[in-house]
This record gives sequence, C-alpha cells and structure tokens, in this order.
Amino acid sequence: MRTAWRVAVFDVAAPLAAIAALLYIGIALAWPLWWVSVCSVLCLLVVEAVVVNVVLARRDGVTVGTDDDGPRLRLAVAGTAAAALAAAVVVAYLNWTVPDRNLRNDTGEVVDIASSVSEASATFAPQSPTASIDRATAMMSSQAAEEFKKEFDSVAKDLAGRNVSATASTVSAGVEAIGPAAASVAVILTATQSSPGTPPDTAVLALRVRLSKQDGRWLVDDVSPIHSR
Amino acid sequence: MPDDEPDDSEHGSAISGYGIGSAVAGVIAVAAIVLAALIWTQHRGDAAELRYRTEAMQAAADWTGVLVNMNKDTVDASLAQLHEGTVGQLNADFDASIKPYRELVQKLQARTTGQVDSVAIEYLHKDQPGAQPPPPASSDMSVFASRTDTVMVIATSVSETAGNEKPQTVRWTLRLDVADIDGKPMISRLESVR
Repeated sequence: MRTAWRVAVFDVAAPLAAIAALLYIGIALAWPLWWVSVCSVLCLLVVEAVVVNVVLARRDGVTVGTDDDGPRLRLAVAGTAAAALAAAVVVAYLNWTVPDRNLRNDTGEVVDIASSVSEASATFAPQSPTASIDRATAMMSSQAAEEFKKEFDSVAKDLAGRNVSATASTVSAGVEAIGPAAASVAVILTATQSSPGTPPDTAVLALRVRLSKQDGRWLVDDVSPIHSR
Repeated sequence: MPDDEPDDSEHGSAISGYGIGSAVAGVIAVAAIVLAALIWTQHRGDAAELRYRTEAMQAAADWTGVLVNMNKDTVDASLAQLHEGTVGQLNADFDASIKPYRELVQKLQARTTGQVDSVAIEYLHKDQPGAQPPPPASSDMSVFASRTDTVMVIATSVSETAGNEKPQTVRWTLRLDVADIDGKPMISRLESVR
C-alpha cells in the first residue's frame, strides 16, 4: 500500500506535474519560439528520466519513489516538480492576472478622465474665461495642451465678448478601444449655451478622446468630434 | 543487534528530514496547482467577457448600420432586418418605437448613405436632470437574457434629396441595450440621446 502510494506520487505524478507545468507556462506565454525549444528540451529530459526510472525499476525492482536509500533523489524530484508548478503560477500571474487587472483599472480611469476633459472643454464661464481651459489642459499632454489653448483662446475671447456661458454634462462614456499604453474613449454629452436675453440652446455632442499612458499616467492627446460631418 | 539501534535512528532522522522536505514540496505543488487553476479560470472568464463585448459591439454596429442606411426603396426590407435583430419589449413595440425613423426616411424621399462612426460599451452613464427616469430595465428580459449591456453608437447619415441641392446630414447618438440571448447578442432597447 505504502509502495503503491510512493510510486503514484514520485514516479507518476511528479513527472506529469512537471510536464503539465511546462505546457501551462507555454500557454501563458503564448508559445514564443524560445519557449517552444526550451519546453521541448525540458519535456524530453523528464521523459528520459521516467524511461530510465522504468528500466532501472525492471532491473532492480525499486523505483525512485520506493528506494529507501535514495531520499535525496526523491527530494530532488519532488522539489523540481514543485518548482516547475510554482514557476507556472508566477508566469501565469504576470501574463494573465496582472494585465487583466490593469485593463480593468485603466478602463475606469480613462473613462473618468475622458468624461471630465470633455465636460471641461465644452464648459465656459465669462467670469473666469480660462478656468475650464486650465482644468482641461491639466489632464492633457503638454503638446495637446498647447494646441488646445491656442485653439480655444480666440473662441474664449469671442464667447466672453458676447457674454455667453456654456455648461456641459456627460450622458454616457465608454471605451472604444484600449491597450496597455493607448486608449480611445467615446463621450456623449449635452451642452447648453446661454447668453443673456436668449433662450438656452442645448445640443448633444459626441466627442472622441484619445489618451496615452506616459510614465504610468493617462494623459489626453486629442479631443475631437466623432460625427464624420 | 544493539549496534544497529543508533545507526537506525540516525538513518531514520535523515529520512524524515528529506521526507519533510518532500512533504513541503508536495504542499507547495498542490497549492500551485490550485492557484494555477484559479488563475486559468479567471483569465478565461476575462477573455470571454472581452470576446462577448466585441460581439455585442459588432451586433450594435451592424444593426445601426442598417438603421442609418435606410432608403425609401429599401425601407421595408431594412425594417424587417432590423426587426429580426431585436428582442423583448423593443421587438413587441417595434413599429411604434421605430416610427419616427420610418417617417423621417419617408419624408426625406432621399438617397441616404450612413456610416457608423463610433461604437463603445457604455461604462459611465449619468441621468440628465429633468429627464424622465428610464423605464426599469425591461424586467421581462431577465427571463431570456443572461445579461444586458448598453452600447453607445454614434453614426452620421447624409441624405441627398433630388430637388434640394444641399444634402441633409443626420447625426445619430444612440444608446442600444444589447441582451445576450443564448450567446447571441440582440438589441432589446433603443434610445436616442437628445
């Protein structure tokens, strides 16, 4: 009974676990060429060791698992299998869990940023003409901020001259596409323009906000209308 | 043999030392297998979620593509096609909810070409102050649909009227509810943001 148990664990389960771990790492790494070759070599070594074990077991009637004089080798077998499995967990965590979690967090972050940038870029108060522009540019990359300022300075002067105030609020926002370093977010907002003496004018705006991740921070690169005309 | 005794115990302690090592390795191995299985299922779930979102977005885009490309000649065929892609309350009240669009198409009497500009799964939604609260997410749907997502679709269509020189541009900002019916995404609600 004890013999059967030791054979099952050390002579059968351990090499199978090691091979399974190697294949699992391959799946997690999406089989790059170097791992295909490393994995083949290591799997071949494991199979070879199993074959040697079987041949010696037929000759001596004792296997690695049941040999009372070879505890070191048994520990080495168990340790190798455990190490392979532990490596598989680490590789899978780094290749699957971390990117999946980053994607989820990034999605929430870019949508929030895009929503506030869109609202700020469509908001204007004549009392403080630069307040909302500053709020928007704070979330932009330096190049985009410069362009945005240039573009909106004249508009802001015009609006301030006519004493127009504008407010905008997000209706919905969602991610069009997202990767580890770049994202594109669609934002639908309602914008209301009002000036003294005229009824407020409400319009629905659809904006596309492009963002890129720089030094771990999402920055807006571009805000543009989505409608093609 | 008394001489064997200390030898045996020394041997025994050595075995137990290696044995403990092997047992620790075994525990690590079992824990690693459990963790690996957990990570695997979680990743599969996340990948399936992304795949489903892509399908839902594709379904919404296709559906809107038909909607914004309706001509006076093809309006009936298009409407039949649109009707097929819907489910639940929208399917039942299809004629009523699509009526404004149909009237628009027939009124324009025009050649319309439209394109979908943007599709996104809605992540953030704020109800407009003053707007009536949306009808409770059609409770009848929950029986069939395992889930419902809202997809934002933004499209533009241009209608060229025969008499009028100036082509007329229609800007669409739609929120579509996409329900998962046995793995097939179907449109269950249509809302135009205005």
